[in-house]
Amino acid sequence: MLTATTVFFALSLVIGFYMAWNIGANDVANAFGTSVGSGALTLFRAIILGGIFEFCGAFFVGANVADTIKGGIVPFEAFSDVRQLGVGMLAALLAAGVWLNVATFFGQPVSTTHAIIGAVIGFACVAVGPGHIKWANMGTIAASWIVSPLVGALLAYVVYRLIIRFVLRSRHPVYMARQAVPLCLAMVIFIITLSIVCAGPPKLARLVLSLPLAVVLAALTAIGARMVIHRYTRNRRIRMSQRYVVVERWFGRIQIVSACYMAFAHGANDVANAVGPMAATIQIFGQGYVAAKAAVPSWILALGGVGIVIGLATYGYKVIEKVGKRITEITPTRGFSAEFGTATTVLVCSTLGLPISTTFVLVGAVMGVGLARGFAAIDLGVIKRIFASWVITIPVSAVLAAVFFWILGAFL
Amino acid sequence: MRRLTDLFGRSPFEPMVEHARKVHECVALVRPIADAILAGDTQGLRDLQHQMSKTEYEADEIKDRIRANLPTRYFLSVSRESVANFLRQQDRIADDAEDFAVVATLRTIHLPQELHQDFLALVDKVVQVSEQLLAVSEHLGQLQKEAFAGPDTAEVLGQIQQVCHMEWESDKLSRQLARRYYGMDDIDPITVMILEKLSAALRGIADHAENVGKNLRIMIAHR
Repeated sequence: MLTATTVFFALSLVIGFYMAWNIGANDVANAFGTSVGSGALTLFRAIILGGIFEFCGAFFVGANVADTIKGGIVPFEAFSDVRQLGVGMLAALLAAGVWLNVATFFGQPVSTTHAIIGAVIGFACVAVGPGHIKWANMGTIAASWIVSPLVGALLAYVVYRLIIRFVLRSRHPVYMARQAVPLCLAMVIFIITLSIVCAGPPKLARLVLSLPLAVVLAALTAIGARMVIHRYTRNRRIRMSQRYVVVERWFGRIQIVSACYMAFAHGANDVANAVGPMAATIQIFGQGYVAAKAAVPSWILALGGVGIVIGLATYGYKVIEKVGKRITEITPTRGFSAEFGTATTVLVCSTLGLPISTTFVLVGAVMGVGLARGFAAIDLGVIKRIFASWVITIPVSAVLAAVFFWILGAFL
Repeated sequence: MRRLTDLFGRSPFEPMVEHARKVHECVALVRPIADAILAGDTQGLRDLQHQMSKTEYEADEIKDRIRANLPTRYFLSVSRESVANFLRQQDRIADDAEDFAVVATLRTIHLPQELHQDFLALVDKVVQVSEQLLAVSEHLGQLQKEAFAGPDTAEVLGQIQQVCHMEWESDKLSRQLARRYYGMDDIDPITVMILEKLSAALRGIADHAENVGKNLRIMIAHR
């Protein structure tokens, strides 16, 4: 017996999975493209590492942002029939998916995050009226869209200046580069640990409790890495003329870590774009009810994570290869700075439950390195285009979602 | 993503090096012209002057192309002024080289035998200055890649010092030559005038080369 509910349930699974696939296919390349391009990682290793860390990010930290998209924008109480909400979320998924494909077809840079948020607002306006949307939350989200690329830029700028100051211009650049490896590893471990532990409420208490754990883990990692490096480099002498090349090679190794870090942060934030609405629809059409406060179940997060990994494995590797070949300007020191700035910003936002666009933060971070005079020339015209696509995406996906909501609602 | 690669504008360094090479091509013509002057080869001087004008024009084209491709929306790793300054000074080198070629065609002079050595010494020194400057300019792209902090930077700063030193040497040679021909009693005054103009052009080449070098030093150090 094929009822509308069953069809909608299946549809939301398919579309949600498709969205996850899309994220894996197109966006992971930003994290690993430079590492593959600079030769720090082979394509095969990039896919394996990317898959693992995207999944972990989605699974361990993804719930924060997913909760925001699922229940932080539209209040469930506003719907008299909860199935209306399910149809709306389905319409939002459909709208975002369609718009993403159209935009990609025309070569426009469009953020999955912006599309899905716009779509959720769109159907909510039609279904319950604009008055019921939690505009205060939306305000925070919109502010984070503007602030996050700036923070990414600032972090990347500072990291790159530090590298120039303390490594490249130091008396012993190679020695300093070796010291930087454990330090960077420790910082990455520290922030990832905090973000995993702080994934659920109450955030502040968890933060305070997990600080010692994170510090200890980070310190252990640093000491371990330091010992391994010391053991393998003890008797090596480097000629003056080779110094710069050796420093970049060390940063190439750190870049593997920062790429994984970025995959983790990306998974943590972007899985929500697929999983947030899907969690609502699956609960509504599968169980007939939804609890606003209930966190997104782990198995749905895992589903989203698997979708991303499959996207990466079936199509994403091509994009990674292409990006890697084209971005030759990004040397390991610059790539590390940009990736570290991006991943830290994105991961902190994920922990706070703010859905932001990883790509835009990355663009900001690259600009930050450029501001530190890291690149020969940067085309600022891109900013204008990005801003334009940002402004267009939200209303378009909102209207699309409203239309789909109206069409699907007829079958209910 | 397409958007990430779009971020990177075209580096100004490659065309700048291209321009530097073209300008040096002009300066390299100075030696054959000097030989033709000594030989009194009027037709050869005309041909060389023609070739010089062509090369200078090509350098101008490269310069204009760089300026056109450097829109304000590009964010550069070196200041826009230093790029413009570099081009301006390089342009003057080419202009002076062309001046030299033109002056040489104004009148076929008969240079007294005793001036030959000093004259050629000055010419060779000026060409050397330009050669050394080109060696500096060729490194620009690599320096930028190494964040102006790599081992090449120290080397290049040394090379710039060399350019300045050679300019000073060329000044000395120029003075020495002037003393020689002003000290001669039996020399044709018009030959002196031509010689004066020729050495002014040569001094100009060396001066502007030094300016380019100093400008590059600022570009490298001012960060």
